[in-house]
Amino acid sequence: MWPEFAIQDVTLRVNEGDYLVIVGPTGAGKTLLLELLLGVHQPDVGRIFVGEREVTALPPEQRGIGMVYQDYLLFPHLDVARNLGFGLRYGNRDAGDTRRRVSEIAELLGIDHLLHRYPYTLSGGEKQRVAIGRALVTEPRVLLLDEPLSALDRGTAARLRGELKLLHAAKKLTVLHVTHDLSEARQMDGPIALIKEGRLDALGTADELLRRPPTVFAAAFFGAVNLYKAEVAETAAGRRVVAGPIVAESGFAGGGIHVMIHPDEVVLVPAELAEQPNHLRGEVMALTDEGNYVAVQLRVIGLPAPLTAYVSRHFVRTEKLGLGSVVTADVNRAIHVLEG
Amino acid sequence: MNAPAGQLAARGEGARQGGVSAVSWLLVFIPFVVVFLLIGRYVIAAAVLAVSILWAVKDRKSKRLPLAPLAVLSVSGGLLIFFIILPILNLLFTTEPSRVVTTALDPAVQSALAITLSAALIATCVSLLFGIPLGYVLAREQFAGKSVVEGIVDMPVVIPHTIAGIALLFIFGRGGILGAPLKAHFNVLLSDSYWGIVLAMLFVGVPFVVNHCRDGFLKVDPRMEHVARSLGASWLQAFFHVTIPLTKRALLSGAIMTWARAISEFGSVAIIAYYPKTINTLLFEWYNFFGYTYTKPLSTLLLLVALAIFVSLRAVATLKRAEY
Repeated sequence: MWPEFAIQDVTLRVNEGDYLVIVGPTGAGKTLLLELLLGVHQPDVGRIFVGEREVTALPPEQRGIGMVYQDYLLFPHLDVARNLGFGLRYGNRDAGDTRRRVSEIAELLGIDHLLHRYPYTLSGGEKQRVAIGRALVTEPRVLLLDEPLSALDRGTAARLRGELKLLHAAKKLTVLHVTHDLSEARQMDGPIALIKEGRLDALGTADELLRRPPTVFAAAFFGAVNLYKAEVAETAAGRRVVAGPIVAESGFAGGGIHVMIHPDEVVLVPAELAEQPNHLRGEVMALTDEGNYVAVQLRVIGLPAPLTAYVSRHFVRTEKLGLGSVVTADVNRAIHVLEG
Repeated sequence: MNAPAGQLAARGEGARQGGVSAVSWLLVFIPFVVVFLLIGRYVIAAAVLAVSILWAVKDRKSKRLPLAPLAVLSVSGGLLIFFIILPILNLLFTTEPSRVVTTALDPAVQSALAITLSAALIATCVSLLFGIPLGYVLAREQFAGKSVVEGIVDMPVVIPHTIAGIALLFIFGRGGILGAPLKAHFNVLLSDSYWGIVLAMLFVGVPFVVNHCRDGFLKVDPRMEHVARSLGASWLQAFFHVTIPLTKRALLSGAIMTWARAISEFGSVAIIAYYPKTINTLLFEWYNFFGYTYTKPLSTLLLLVALAIFVSLRAVATLKRAEY
């Protein structure tokens, strides 16, 4: 149906009660992945389980999976109370029980004063609360959130993000949260899965993916600044990974390898120390004040792209760092070797 | 001229709206006034015409808009509007109301009217019954040959209706592919019967129903149905509890359009079933035997029926629009 999107290979095990954030560039297949789990598309191959139960062949209404879209998709012909209670129509509940559950969930989300309003009268944040409440009311085993905060202004998004974390903790929900917003992904505190062209590219905590990304794509996606192509070479000290003047130890035998230098772990030292291993001599090309730190760009002989290091303002002032200054960058503690 | 940008923009907006209203005023009122002139209320008509032109000119001048477009628009556009409204208003205003009432009380007219309205209603219901599913499939599914199906649906619009009548006769007529066995085995004859009228009306009404349904369903985000499914609704429940309520208005206006189209159908109906007479067949017969002046009250009566349907259609279109 959509030839341009395809899920190729995503093997993912989400533990009960986890809050998994799925990130990836536009068109990577994140929404399609959620809709496969939801059951509105059928996979050609592969299987989907919820708990011990295989749901691959089940229709969406029997999967026990809730869905919240970015653009809320509230039923415009129903008021908030009936939107919230929609999922209870299909469970043979009596009217009193439905009313009680609706008011419980409305109270939990702070929307109990809106019960008789129609969706077109609500603000974006209110609409998204109703959409979340509507999905929670049937107590799904898994909740899918497709860019739930992307359409909201920053303040509302931040508030709702906090509430989502609390809800997740309070209701012991298993949540899959798709977003393209990196800072949103990091702030949800859960594991993060990176999807690239329909494949699972990386999986880990925010810290792991930022400090030790397994692939070049993951490194670039999570904002790596210094990334250099490297190769395995025999040196006087044995087999080493080499990228220009940078030499690193690693278990990689060969193939595509990159070296990543964390700019906040680079130490600038006096120029005369340049003869030691991984002490790179460079000339300052640019100084950018980023607010809490200063990004220093160095031209290093042997490196195809400039090396960026983050230093304090204090350092810039006391070392009298300026354009054209020659310094030595100690990258020993900043090196990460990755595949790709 | 040195007003701040915001103020300028605001004035531009107001001027544009004012200009449009002046033009629409002229477009609608000039024909009315001309008709008034034609039917004898000279003084009042001339006064209204003068006032409306002056008002429009003054309105444009106060908004500093050029007058030339106004003149061009109201002459060219007004002529077209005039062409449509003149015959209609002439018929309405020059027919004696008492003769319309007498005609409406004529048993032949009443029976023809009842046949027409009821047959058109049945044709509408049948086309809805089959058109809603087809419209839904056309809106939601991509399949090979979809454009062919859409083309076939639109065919009755371009086929001359007399030809449609002939073609239907070859199927449902006395010697037709389906008509002959029906006659032989069940002694049922669809041509020259009430059901022949329904068939002809159905044939010409299908495009209206299917296209209206499809357009209505296209406006409902399929993800709305996905959400309903995830909340426990089967696809049929999602369809009836979400999709149908959201397309209610499109379906209703489609139904009214189809009904109106069916009521006005003459060519194919007269060929497949001259008897029992529909109101159009009756009108045609009177015209043939007694001449056009004789048909005037009946024409006016039919026109009033059509206008009533038209008004109700517009009412449905604006119904509760604010809600969603």
